[in-house]
Amino acid sequence: MANLLTGDLKYDYLSVDEPPVRDERIGGCTAYFGCCSGLKEDFRKGCAQALNRKFSQSGGCQLMLAMGIINTISNIVTIIHSPLGCCSNLAGMAGVRNISRASRGLKTENQTFIHTNLDELDVVNGGIEKLRRAILYADKEYQPEVIAIMNGCVPGVIGDDVDGLVRELQPKVSARLVPVHCEGFKSRFVSSGYDAANHGILKYLIREPKDTDESGTETEYESKERISKTVNIFNVGSNSHKDELELSRLIKKLGLIPRIVPLHASVYDLDRLGEAALNVSICATHDDYMLGHLKERYGTEYVLDVLPIGINCTNRWLRKIAGHFHLEKEVEELIEEETRELIKAIEPFVKVLKGKRAFVGGGETRILTTADFYRSIGMEIVGIKSHNLDRFVQYLLDEIDNPHLPVEVAAGQPAEELNLLKRLKPDIYIGHIGANGWVTKLGIPNIPLFGTTINYMGYSGAYELARRAARALKNTIFSKNISQNTELPLSDEWMQTYPKKNIVRGALF
Amino acid sequence: MSDFIERSKFSCALGGAITTITAIPKAIPIVHASGGCAAALSNTYNLSSGYRGTGYCGGNMIPTSNITQSHIVFGGEEKLAGQIESTIRYIKGDLYIVVTGCQTELIGDDAVGVALKYRENNVIGVSTPGFKGNTLRGYDEVLCTLIKEVVEKTDEKEEKTINLIGIVPGHDVFFKGNIEHLTDLLKRIGIRANTFFGDGESIEKIKTYGRAKLTVVLSETAGQLAAKAFENVHKIPYITTDLPIGPKATEKFLKLIGEALGIEKEIIDRVVKDEKKYFYSYLERIVDAASDLDFQRYAVIVADSYYAYPLTEFVSEELGWIPYFVAVNDIEDDKLQEEYKNKFDRLTSYTKPEILFESKSGLIEKKLDLIFKEQTDSKYHDRPEPMFIIGSVVERGLAKKYGTGFLSVAFPVSNRVVLNKGYAGFRGALTLTEDLLSELVSAR
Repeated sequence: MANLLTGDLKYDYLSVDEPPVRDERIGGCTAYFGCCSGLKEDFRKGCAQALNRKFSQSGGCQLMLAMGIINTISNIVTIIHSPLGCCSNLAGMAGVRNISRASRGLKTENQTFIHTNLDELDVVNGGIEKLRRAILYADKEYQPEVIAIMNGCVPGVIGDDVDGLVRELQPKVSARLVPVHCEGFKSRFVSSGYDAANHGILKYLIREPKDTDESGTETEYESKERISKTVNIFNVGSNSHKDELELSRLIKKLGLIPRIVPLHASVYDLDRLGEAALNVSICATHDDYMLGHLKERYGTEYVLDVLPIGINCTNRWLRKIAGHFHLEKEVEELIEEETRELIKAIEPFVKVLKGKRAFVGGGETRILTTADFYRSIGMEIVGIKSHNLDRFVQYLLDEIDNPHLPVEVAAGQPAEELNLLKRLKPDIYIGHIGANGWVTKLGIPNIPLFGTTINYMGYSGAYELARRAARALKNTIFSKNISQNTELPLSDEWMQTYPKKNIVRGALF
Repeated sequence: MSDFIERSKFSCALGGAITTITAIPKAIPIVHASGGCAAALSNTYNLSSGYRGTGYCGGNMIPTSNITQSHIVFGGEEKLAGQIESTIRYIKGDLYIVVTGCQTELIGDDAVGVALKYRENNVIGVSTPGFKGNTLRGYDEVLCTLIKEVVEKTDEKEEKTINLIGIVPGHDVFFKGNIEHLTDLLKRIGIRANTFFGDGESIEKIKTYGRAKLTVVLSETAGQLAAKAFENVHKIPYITTDLPIGPKATEKFLKLIGEALGIEKEIIDRVVKDEKKYFYSYLERIVDAASDLDFQRYAVIVADSYYAYPLTEFVSEELGWIPYFVAVNDIEDDKLQEEYKNKFDRLTSYTKPEILFESKSGLIEKKLDLIFKEQTDSKYHDRPEPMFIIGSVVERGLAKKYGTGFLSVAFPVSNRVVLNKGYAGFRGALTLTEDLLSELVSAR
């Protein structure tokens, strides 16, 4: 199937230890401030991709995003080959992983992670011996199915040969060893972390399955029949189990068999990634590396298109899948039925939300689809902020019909965003974690753009998006109280400076 | 050489520096590192320290030089200089502290030197790469630099003023409450305590810390370098003691400091008497329930050295629990381990706890497994039940496994929201008692 978004991209990197970072493989824009039409133009010409900022604040690290994938695999021990700071947030996340697992009916388990705790001596002598001991300890004490080795900046700079060690130790341990190269300094795009984790899964983790099915009772015909109808839906760290149930429900209604991978999957399931007729992404920013390589490996076709959020995008997502199976008639019936039911259900919320001014900030695919939904029910989108912009959302940008819409491209950078928000004064803000607290301090009511227990995808998700926004506007006193009694650290000079002035032609990235 | 650590309860030196700086009123960290370090490390403490939050300028608000691949090759000093210049214009602060990450230190950037060029704009620099040590090291590095660069030298000493350190913001989840309880108590015996992080502190006040007569360190593993810096630079001697929790420990604490500063015994005795009376007037409330329902527990404490002994001492000496097993994760040196172990000889309980120094959570669990397994094979078994585990949220799994009571006190604490509560002193001990015993009645 011709696939617009990945058209000229190559997926043959499994022979190398490290995947290329997004800066090399995809490129994109990490700093922009201006109107939507200007951005479209600058992006097409390649100018937007060459911009940087003067005053900068902390963004993200690809290690955290790689960990977000790897850490969901069942029966795994993760080793963070680094000083103690990298992934130190895991200290307080023990329950979070289990909440996620419990919501999916999976066994809760102690989250075992090990830091090689690299110190000044290791910087001089190398950290390989410590890593060796940590791997042998993890294998002996826990007998996990997988031991993942997450590489921080220090081994990256001092040149520890982690892959060499893995090749040496693999025959001696029972766990599958999965090195993940996700050194933070190597990429401006945190999404490189997705590729790093997926590279580890594709190159080191998955192996040829031994049996065709779990029970061993399936005939060859039954097995072929099952695979011919199986749709792998590739989940992401920011979606909930309820999202997965909703998307599965829709796929089943088309007479297909949904299978949710790779997050929270067992090694057994991962080995069987190839047993599907179609691989479907729910977020192109996450998945192209995985889906492209699975096509190389198993020949499985894929749909890498839109995030199924809101009515239009869910419809579009379903049509793309149905198209592959020639279920055009069935999908139109499904869409007709679902939208009719939904539009009636959200009527009371639409009454509250109509004409309200909204600002959406966060990851590129999610904000553009979420903004599209709120616009479709009569809200006014007064601005958007994207962590970065790349080829995967160019068509979504093209579909925005307001040429004057203010657009900011920035990962984190609350100073720029708060400056813009103070000018725009939206009625409600929908944003990525890390932003909402600052927005509350500015006095603007807000709801999270995603949540690991919130259903925002599919038709039931659209209902929830409307319901939550309407609820947030029922009582807005909290943000008012906070803004009147706390102080933001931004100077008057900053707040009076138009944020575009902070964006400059990049010297070094 | 340090060993690998399982389920670490520490961040790195940069993480320690950030949690320390963001706890000082109007101090702004400028992080010279890759883009993700500042927000990630700050968020470790914003979330896992009882939801302490980003505060004034934490989390992704932290100015960062955002070092990437090309700076690793060409150097990042120029980028840092630009970042300092824009930060002092755009972020309101009384002091800007440049701190460094692994990447920039490995390539040899002189960040402290760059910071020095902006000294007149209230900028200082500290070298804090992650590989230098854990959270506690970062805390000490920042404090040492403040003591050397910001605290003004003076020969004038205030007889009744102390510098109170060793309470690491964020790493002590209850740092605000603990500081408040201790400064209030010290004030009542006529002593002013400089705390860096307490309510009402400021950079202006920190400049005057050189006038203190004595430094009191409440930890063997944090604040020792800072105390030495006070001694070397400002000629202020120091003593090390434990975080006091409960009447007995607090009385010792007040007497130790009071005597060192020549406070009249009567003044201390009066405050101790009043506070003890207050403590028991409230503790009395739970006497019936504690007796009728038999609240005495075998206590297992899993914590860093700052909390391990004080918590053990409190449950043993005040509540009369059985101090059974203590695991400490932050002392590696054999001699220091021996000294720390000796503290437990002071306990009056007939049973003295077994002390394990271990930073691999799996091996602590293995040890407890043995204790439980050993004693369950026979029909009659005297096992350490009912048990209560006081640790961090990491030990919640253990408590569930063995069916024991559980309270998270040591970092990380992600299962509780902590605002101004503290466990130190007389009144803090009442709060601790409330929290411990609430666990025992929560299902009723």
